[in-house]
Amino acid sequence: MDMQTKKEENATVVTIIGRLDAVTAPEYEKKLNELIAGAEASFVVDFDQLDYISSAGLRVLLATAKRLKGKGGQMRFANVKGAVKEVFDISGFGSIFQMDDSVDAALAKLPA
Amino acid sequence: MITVEHLSKKFDNFVVLKDISIEIKKGEVIAIIGPSGTGKSTFLRCLNLLDRPSSGSIVIDGVNILDAKADVPKVRQKMNMVFQSFNLFSHLSVLENLTIGPIKLRGMGTQEAEQKALELLKLVGLGEKANNYPDELSGGQKQRVAIARCLAMDPEIILFDEPTSALDPTMVSEVLSVIRRLAKEGMTMAIVTHEMDFARDVSNRVLYMDEGLIYEEGTPQQVFENPQKEKTKAFINRVRSFNYQISSPDYDLYAMNAEIEAFCEKQILPRKTRHNVLLLVEELLQLYNPYLSATRLDITLAYSEKKESLELVFESSGEAINPLDTNLLPDELGLTIINNLAQSLEYSRVNDKNRVTVLMNKG
Repeated sequence: MDMQTKKEENATVVTIIGRLDAVTAPEYEKKLNELIAGAEASFVVDFDQLDYISSAGLRVLLATAKRLKGKGGQMRFANVKGAVKEVFDISGFGSIFQMDDSVDAALAKLPA
Repeated sequence: MITVEHLSKKFDNFVVLKDISIEIKKGEVIAIIGPSGTGKSTFLRCLNLLDRPSSGSIVIDGVNILDAKADVPKVRQKMNMVFQSFNLFSHLSVLENLTIGPIKLRGMGTQEAEQKALELLKLVGLGEKANNYPDELSGGQKQRVAIARCLAMDPEIILFDEPTSALDPTMVSEVLSVIRRLAKEGMTMAIVTHEMDFARDVSNRVLYMDEGLIYEEGTPQQVFENPQKEKTKAFINRVRSFNYQISSPDYDLYAMNAEIEAFCEKQILPRKTRHNVLLLVEELLQLYNPYLSATRLDITLAYSEKKESLELVFESSGEAINPLDTNLLPDELGLTIINNLAQSLEYSRVNDKNRVTVLMNKG
């Protein structure tokens, strides 16, 4: 599992890298929970370097979004493309989450 | 014409032919197909006694040729053979290759033998090569000479042992067209071949050999379009498969993925297909997760080159449980993905095992 975080003015950009599958999903969930617990309220998840996602990964994203919503925060996705986008589309997740073509576009739509 | 009953052949303790029974009628063209090493060539060699069968009987026109008193050279005249590697006499001209048998074994006069040889060489399209030597000919020409030499002995049946497998692809068709012509003219033939299209259109009966037996037989249409038995289906559809076994919930997903990827790469499957196979396997494994501590799971991924289709079979022992049952799932996310990647998805209980079969979408 590989994840990078970068603090921007109005949100934390989380870049997930490689695979978000049954093996890596628990670790991603743990890290994301730690960020939320650390009072981060707004996230942009950058999928640019993600090659593979399965339902295990989608569940983590869904659980994270729910947790954030409970705290009044929100999450936007950027650069969802290729095979990952196909999984989003066939599972119906493409319409559940707010998606943008770039990290900058996602940041611009989050409250300052 | 020929009746074979309970023929077997062992080399020391190695059983090549277990129990072959078949009747070959006059004018039949029989194609013998099957994987390498399943006794096809040995069967032909047993028929004309190049290999002595261990047991059984071969009756030709009422005479059991396995009888100690049988006249073996005479049997071979009735039943001539064309070999993979031509077996021409290299020190004799093409014409002499064709005349030596009739002159020496059948007592035919030289002039008559030569006249007949020239006719046969014309029949196989090599009338101009009568005075050449085998080494001056291409592989396809050599094999045509070998067929003409066979015909020179007026055989009642010709046995072809993979007549094109030693040839360059460019020369295969010239040999096959000669054999096709013989078939049209009513020659009785038994042909061991790996040329499936040829086997299909030249023969009126197909024997699929496997496990030292005639595993399945029928008309070309029956065997090629609607094979009944598992191994025949796999062979005809050129199925290659990959197996993996999981016996613990702590299985190594990445080790398995690496093996699946290697299998898919070997079949030259596109990247997207490889991705979908991995996703499908992971999603199915997620459905099985609650049961993996108590059961062993056998995964088979089978690719049919002919149909260009991929099939995944998950089979587990233990009590009847349908892992696709939505009432048993915490959510339907995985199942939704599976359904989207699958052309068909079904659960069945077979031989006290739970079986999930997925035919993947193409692409």
